[in-house]
Amino acid sequence: MALIELVGVSHRYGSREVLREVDLSIGKGEVFALIGPTGAGKTTLLRIIDLLEVPSTGEIHFDGKRVPESGKQRLEIRRRISFVHQKPQVFNLSVYDNVACGLRWRGEEKDRIAEKVDHILKIVGLEGYSDRNARTLSGGEVQRVALARSLVLEPEVLLLDEPTANLDPVSSAKIEQVISYVAEQRKTTMIMATHDMSQGRQLADRIGVLLDGKLVQIGNANDIFYSPQNEEVANLVGVENILEGLITTNTDGIVTVKVGPDRIGIQAVSNHPVGKEVYACIRPEDITLAPIFHLSSARNSFQGKVTRVTTLGPLSRVEVDCGFRLVALVTKISAEELNLQEGKEVCATFKATAVHIMERKTS
Amino acid sequence: MGVVALTVVAVTAIVSLSITARAPSLKVATTSSLYDTGLWEYLEPRFEERYGVKLDILCVSTGIALEYGKRGDVDVIVIHDKAREEQFIAEGYGVDRIPFAYNYFLIVGPPDDPAGIKGLGPEEAFKKLMEEGLGNPREIKFVSRGDESGTHAKEKAIWEAADFDYETIRKAGDWYAEGGRGMGPTLLMASEMNAYTLTDMGTFLAYKGKLDLVPLVGEGRILLNVYSVIAVNPEKHPHTRIEMANNLIDFLTSSETQKLIGAYGVGDYGMPLFMPCAGAEPEQ
Amino acid sequence: MSEIWEGLIKAVYLIVSLDPEVLEIAGRSLRISGTACLLASLVCLPLGALIHFHQFPVKRVLINVIQALFSLPSVIIGLFIFVLFSRAGPLGELGILFTPTAMIIGQMVLITPILLGLTISALSGVAKEIVDTATSLGASGFQITLLVLGEARYAVVAAVIMAFGRAISEVGCALMVGGNFKGFTRVMTTAISLETSKGELELSLALGIILLFLALIVNIALHRLQQR
Repeated sequence: MALIELVGVSHRYGSREVLREVDLSIGKGEVFALIGPTGAGKTTLLRIIDLLEVPSTGEIHFDGKRVPESGKQRLEIRRRISFVHQKPQVFNLSVYDNVACGLRWRGEEKDRIAEKVDHILKIVGLEGYSDRNARTLSGGEVQRVALARSLVLEPEVLLLDEPTANLDPVSSAKIEQVISYVAEQRKTTMIMATHDMSQGRQLADRIGVLLDGKLVQIGNANDIFYSPQNEEVANLVGVENILEGLITTNTDGIVTVKVGPDRIGIQAVSNHPVGKEVYACIRPEDITLAPIFHLSSARNSFQGKVTRVTTLGPLSRVEVDCGFRLVALVTKISAEELNLQEGKEVCATFKATAVHIMERKTS
Repeated sequence: MGVVALTVVAVTAIVSLSITARAPSLKVATTSSLYDTGLWEYLEPRFEERYGVKLDILCVSTGIALEYGKRGDVDVIVIHDKAREEQFIAEGYGVDRIPFAYNYFLIVGPPDDPAGIKGLGPEEAFKKLMEEGLGNPREIKFVSRGDESGTHAKEKAIWEAADFDYETIRKAGDWYAEGGRGMGPTLLMASEMNAYTLTDMGTFLAYKGKLDLVPLVGEGRILLNVYSVIAVNPEKHPHTRIEMANNLIDFLTSSETQKLIGAYGVGDYGMPLFMPCAGAEPEQ
Repeated sequence: MSEIWEGLIKAVYLIVSLDPEVLEIAGRSLRISGTACLLASLVCLPLGALIHFHQFPVKRVLINVIQALFSLPSVIIGLFIFVLFSRAGPLGELGILFTPTAMIIGQMVLITPILLGLTISALSGVAKEIVDTATSLGASGFQITLLVLGEARYAVVAAVIMAFGRAISEVGCALMVGGNFKGFTRVMTTAISLETSKGELELSLALGIILLFLALIVNIALHRLQQR
């Protein structure tokens, strides 16, 4: 039985529709990532799950029972859920008082509070910060105080809204570490909103894609990242190569898709019939680059010219023109070894299984 | 934390109640012309000791004293306006009017007397002030109480006796100013402005050291100033302390107190501020 | 001008010699205005929070009215309370007129607009997310109110200081509803009024200086509260 269930939830602010017909089921102990661009409605959805707002239409069920729209019961359920907001506000009190707040409001005993607060500060790595005024802390430290504040309440459900947005890599790593710990050790049910795809991929059991208020696709990491349901999802999850094409042959599930102005054929795995208009999606990291005509077991090998190289940290993003545009992601070292620069001739290769075929709706 | 809050509120309530709870006192509304002379402060401890009750004295002008009496907010009123006192009793608010002290009103003014009223009778003096004032408002000025006090009522009476309509006087010109304050402050104001004013003798003597004014007109029937004590009628206001009020009346008219009243001020001013008249209207 | 200098000397003398009458009226001023301020705060601070955090149709109008009432003259309130508690008035039976209780009530009415208005203003400096955060941590309405007032504590204490100042310095209401009875309802301001009308200018100035001194002490004490 699902712990949390949303049925037909829609919400509007004034005349603006922010959520449309959202149906969602979260199991106990599950880590669910909600990904989507800014403005998709992630925060609103989390607020509704946290019972901070009542949706314009639709119902929420918690532990099998319908959640009432007001009253003591609602408050009691809300106390089992904890929400770490996007830019968390810490109170103008010491770190200790900030973390202890929730416990005090629930009437917990003074000694127990001290025990729990000290323990949680250790977990988030803020030992020794007890007496400091929370307003004097850095962004990463504030985020950890907010996390501690929620965790100390031992919630059944933990909601996180962009937990590492705007943080430096070290702080982000620490937060992610805590999240993993909580998921594994405490088996807390977690719903995390993020626009960092790799974070979602790394930490979550299931991922939901929220676009323009609609929950467009739900699945595990593989489903989302390798089989995006449509172009928008594909764009969102970083499938940079989305090629318009037409299926010309289909032999035992292996199809040929003609793409680009020169109608070049690429091989893919699909059940779609001949004559179907489709998108061929290839993730940049699934493309290998090599000096001209290196033979490989891949079915798809194309010669092309490098049109652009951009450095992304330890990686290089390389745009290649093979008669159709391909974007490849390689390590910087590889890029240097191959001496990849504008104008260089290379061979781009990818497996047929790396090509994801999506229906293309031509209106 | 909630306990602390509750304690604070409780303590506050107790403290505030305790500063209210106290044995009932006798409330007296009296005129500033009587109070400013210090006579009340002189007599007060004697009364309190003799009868074992606290006197609460409201020092206000005659107008509001009458109002307090009508409303039953005080037990006794002590004022000096015969006409209004009689009306007060006629309307059933007061029991009886008992005069107990008197003196005279004076017209005082700057020592050089620019309007030349010295030695005139009160009505003529006022007439002259009006004429001179209209002609020379920068040098000739009059300050009125303008506050419906007993003194103000007397001033109006003199204007009427001199055949003037009071409203005309009020609008007459810059030379006539309505202060709206008690007797003491009015005298101080007149002194500052080098103006004339009508005052009772008691307050004038008490303030003499602070003033640059001299008495110019002191003779005339109309200048008689009688102070009376009236108990608020218990039939209209049953809660008032009529026995204690009567005690105050007895006290003020007792021969002992009457002697004290007659001697009050001699040491400081060389002459008494009041003359006793135990219960009867004084002869001129 | 010499009066001011002499007033200063007299003030120092009265303080140092612990003049009993001055001590008495100073104590009464503090008790009456302090009580009024405390009781009014207990009501107005939560009420201000309530008004701030809720939306309702006449909210804008209400706030405008509250701010307009900042200028309410104390003598008008005195008159209103007098008519209410006079024996001839509706609440006359309570016998509260001419007692410190009436003065406390009067001052409470006087400072309520200030406390309400400035509390609402103070709270507008608190981020709305604070309320959401507290709500999601499971705080009840009352607990949220306390938290939010605490977050705005600097401005809220400033409001209380202002209200106290207004209460302890007013004279119109205290005179009308207290009666200025010696030893019972005489406070610093009514004493100053009396002494001035008697022409005792140095004494009045001295009392005024002492009143300022008192206000300074209370201010310092409340300031310590602000710093926490």
